[in-house]
Amino acid sequence: MLWLLMGGIVALCLYMAWTIGANDVANSMGAPVGSGAITVRQAILIAAICEFAGAVLVGSDVTDTIRKGIVSPDALCRNPEVFCLGMASALFASAVWLHVATWLGMPVSTTHSIVGAVAGFGVVAAGIHSVNWGKMLEIVSSWFISPVAGLALGYVLFRFILRTVLTRAQPLAAAARIAPLMVFLTTLVVALATIYDGMKNLLKPGSVFAEWATGGRAILAAALVSLVAAVVSRRLLRYRARGEVGLPLPEQLRRVERLFVPLAVMAACSVSFAHGANDVANAVGPLAAIADILKTGTVKMRVAVPFWILALGGLGIVLGLATYGYTVMRTIGKGITEITPSRAVATGIATAATVLSCTRLGLPVSTSHCVVGAVLGVGLARGLGAVNQRVIRNIIGSWLATVPAAAGTTMLLFVLGHSLGVDLFLKQLMPAAP
Amino acid sequence: MSLIRELFGKSPFGPLVEHTKKVNECVKLVRPLLEACVREDWAEIHRLQDAVSKLEYEADVVKHEIRQHLPRRYFMPVSRGDLEQFLHCQDEIADAAQDFAVVLLIRSTKIHPELVEEFRAFLDQVVLVSETLTNAAQELESLAETSFGGAEAESVLKMISGLGEGEWKADRMQRKLSQHIYCLEKQLDPITIIFYEKMLGALSAIANSAENTGDMLRTMIVKG
Repeated sequence: MLWLLMGGIVALCLYMAWTIGANDVANSMGAPVGSGAITVRQAILIAAICEFAGAVLVGSDVTDTIRKGIVSPDALCRNPEVFCLGMASALFASAVWLHVATWLGMPVSTTHSIVGAVAGFGVVAAGIHSVNWGKMLEIVSSWFISPVAGLALGYVLFRFILRTVLTRAQPLAAAARIAPLMVFLTTLVVALATIYDGMKNLLKPGSVFAEWATGGRAILAAALVSLVAAVVSRRLLRYRARGEVGLPLPEQLRRVERLFVPLAVMAACSVSFAHGANDVANAVGPLAAIADILKTGTVKMRVAVPFWILALGGLGIVLGLATYGYTVMRTIGKGITEITPSRAVATGIATAATVLSCTRLGLPVSTSHCVVGAVLGVGLARGLGAVNQRVIRNIIGSWLATVPAAAGTTMLLFVLGHSLGVDLFLKQLMPAAP
Repeated sequence: MSLIRELFGKSPFGPLVEHTKKVNECVKLVRPLLEACVREDWAEIHRLQDAVSKLEYEADVVKHEIRQHLPRRYFMPVSRGDLEQFLHCQDEIADAAQDFAVVLLIRSTKIHPELVEEFRAFLDQVVLVSETLTNAAQELESLAETSFGGAEAESVLKMISGLGEGEWKADRMQRKLSQHIYCLEKQLDPITIIFYEKMLGALSAIANSAENTGDMLRTMIVKG
């Protein structure tokens, strides 16, 4: 019986991750596909690898927040079965809401729906005080701050590319000089996010590297890795850009964009990695909570997120990509052909840096919204032909609609489950609390 | 519905260059029109007028497409007003070229042998101004690539800087040609003189509009 229940919850979780792979990944990969830096097929391949890596390597902080940061397990420690039912309701409600919203053609975020659902469960199950409103405030303000940060970073990065490359008299030579720096930046963002906490998901807490790579030393190690990447790229680029000085400017600019293609691919990888770390990880948060309770019979504060759960999220994404993501990505890629590789690089690095910083802080944010912020930033730096400002309104609309809807559905499901005695039934399945 | 998909509007700069090229094709037919008139080959004028008219229509279609894709909710690297003004001025070049064709079509006006060379020289100067503008305007896509700044913007500004002087030269040639026409007024019938004036008016409108278009291009670059 327990296994049947777990099977159902795993299936729900897989469905959530599937939705992300099918619909959401296309948003983070849209810019590089639209710029022609990568084909749809390559984007699928990159996403499959990098999303999985991001979920597994960096995803645990965000998973923890969903699992125990929003609703304090303290309030429910004597009724683990209620916590369990609540998390299952939250997962179910988010899945249903996402499905309905996609069917209605509304731009919704998995993140917002999960966060709303978990908060809704807290309110109905253990009263309004069981919700950690400080953390909620932090999360909700991060939904506002992260796109703005993406915008600022996108603006600064594109201005930098403009000043150091595109507006130069010899842009091609300038690009070859600057490109290694961009490689360094991209690698640094990803490497820092990955090893800053000593890769605690993969390595055992006591292992040599995990102990060694913390704080300053982790930063140093990340910088070193990035430096190596930059030096390698410098060698490769020098070969590619040799003897091209003196071409007419428009021709040079065209070649600069071609030179930016590998950088755009790298940036795409980092966005995909960040997306896996944040959006995928928070989809598996409720499952992590349920699995923990069903195993131990108690609601605990500190338990590492099991590797298999993060991997499950990664698997769901890959399935979503394989079954449906191709179609969505092709549609989006076709719709945004006006972007060029140099713009894709700026938006990519800005998005990855913003999202990975939030992930490290345990803040579940929407990668899509950060992408929108970064694109608007490049637009403000006069980098894009035409940018639709009205999208900002849609983003705010999606916050306003998703959170209450997911919270409400969760409350409904929870009350229904409670009146049917599902929580009491769960209690019998659990090992007795010590 | 994808937020990212909605975020990107169609860039106006590719279509603007397309418009530039269509307009330039109209202007390119002005010289053959005059030559046909000198040869008194009215059938050829008829054919060329059809061609200009068709190209002018195609330019109009591009113009409407650009306007249609620029709703207020989009923001662009240049001000919408400047861009619309640019498009308007550039479109007037094609209109003027078509006017010239129509003037030749509606009446079989013979060019007085003494005036032919001066007509040719004036027309060449007008076409030169228009070509200069075309060369600069064709850089719009590269300008957008560099966010209207840096070396690319400098090089376009340099191209435009010749426009004012070119237009001034065309004006002077037009005045001289007018004077010459009235010197021959005893030999010419009044309606022919009216039509000469109409030809001159249409040709000088080409140079004028080209200069104005260049001014708008400069405004777009400098404002940023």
